[in-house]
Amino acid sequence: MNKEDLIKKWLDNNLNPEEQKAFEQLEDYKELTKMDSSLKNFRAPKFAVDSNYKNLKPNLNKNSESNWWKPLIRIAAIFAIAFSVYYYSTSLDTEMNTNIAEQISVDLPDQSVAKLNANSLLSFNDHSWEEKREVNLIGEAFFKVAKGQKFDVITKNGIVTVLGTQFNVKQRSTYFEVTCYEGLVAVTHKNSTVELQPGDTFKIIDGKQITNEKETATKPSWLSGESNFKSVPLKYVIAEFENQYDLSIIHKNIDTSRLFTGSFTHKDLDLALKSITLPLNLSYSKSGKSIKLKRE
Amino acid sequence: MNKPLKNNICEEKLFERLYKKHSKNLHDFLYYKFGEQLNPQDKVQEAFIKLWQNCSKIEPPKAKSFLFTTANNLMLNAVAHQKVVLKYNKLPHKHSTNVSPEFVLQEKEYNEKLQNALANLTEAQRVAFLMNRVEGKRFKEIAALLDISTKAVEKRIYGALKKLRKDIEEL
Repeated sequence: MNKEDLIKKWLDNNLNPEEQKAFEQLEDYKELTKMDSSLKNFRAPKFAVDSNYKNLKPNLNKNSESNWWKPLIRIAAIFAIAFSVYYYSTSLDTEMNTNIAEQISVDLPDQSVAKLNANSLLSFNDHSWEEKREVNLIGEAFFKVAKGQKFDVITKNGIVTVLGTQFNVKQRSTYFEVTCYEGLVAVTHKNSTVELQPGDTFKIIDGKQITNEKETATKPSWLSGESNFKSVPLKYVIAEFENQYDLSIIHKNIDTSRLFTGSFTHKDLDLALKSITLPLNLSYSKSGKSIKLKRE
Repeated sequence: MNKPLKNNICEEKLFERLYKKHSKNLHDFLYYKFGEQLNPQDKVQEAFIKLWQNCSKIEPPKAKSFLFTTANNLMLNAVAHQKVVLKYNKLPHKHSTNVSPEFVLQEKEYNEKLQNALANLTEAQRVAFLMNRVEGKRFKEIAALLDISTKAVEKRIYGALKKLRKDIEEL
């Protein structure tokens, strides 16, 4: 048996008498036993188990008994939070909005569809849709309403009520226009209600009601990429133009209350500008993001 | 001991049994590992309080490693690794009258060397070595305490011994 193994066995207190003898013969024996006896002086301070346990005992509160309801409270809290988040998010209105030169189609909770023209905002509540079909509108939208109960479009200028039809609502600042394409539409404006037959248009400009001849199209022109106007003051035409093209129009010294009849396309800037300016004997010049209108 | 214990440390009887079984070993472990200045005794108590607070979550077989890990972490939190100081007891020699002053001086020098050499061991080496030499624990017991193999314990202890002897010679 070699020295290292002997020493290891000695360390493990595992020497048999024979090995013990051999170990004592080692030259290291004296050094090892000397170290060993000195090491005993490094004993860890005495740890009084019993008295220390007595000291510890008062610190052990009876948490085990009062513990059972704590997890329950946590679970309840999670449920409460989850429920309130759910309730809050479902009672929140769904909002859809379009930027300039953007059109989107919004599927409402039933079969109804709303097509949103540029720079418009539509909001409705998914949660209470079953009880009341109600949408808020700022801007212009075309609705195809599924048959069912009353359907309300609420705008700043008035409420449009229908049962199931197709109609267009346009509300831009003081301009308010409702055109019925199918079915029957009721428009409530300042406490008076007007019923629109298919083809009828209800139009309020600056608080004045304007009557139009019958509409023959089956859907609003903006759905096919054109804005159509019949005797509309130029400023609303310009405003609509700014909705469809991301440009600003400068129109100093021009009478914007002149009436405009015609249309402009949403797809070709120059053509659109010409369609507006030529009939009114105006000319235009482009510079960057702005367009200046001048009298000829 | 072979009887299956009630599976809940929250039982005060079982908790007390765990305390009696592990507290001293835990204390020694902390002392040999970190030295005396961080008050290993307090850390033992703290670790047991933590065990009690979490008693429902810990299975009894896991209690030992929970205690050791917790106490070790408590220590590590308290210390930015200060140098380990193990105090040696200046026991009055029984036959002090027979001893020459020279011998006393030599003894003192040797103890100081030993103290320094011990401080230079790695924590793992020191714990295993002193548990063995001072507490008289066998390799197997230390292995169970530290959750390592007997072979590893042997390696640590023998390594420590070799290093100590070398250091003492050099100093």
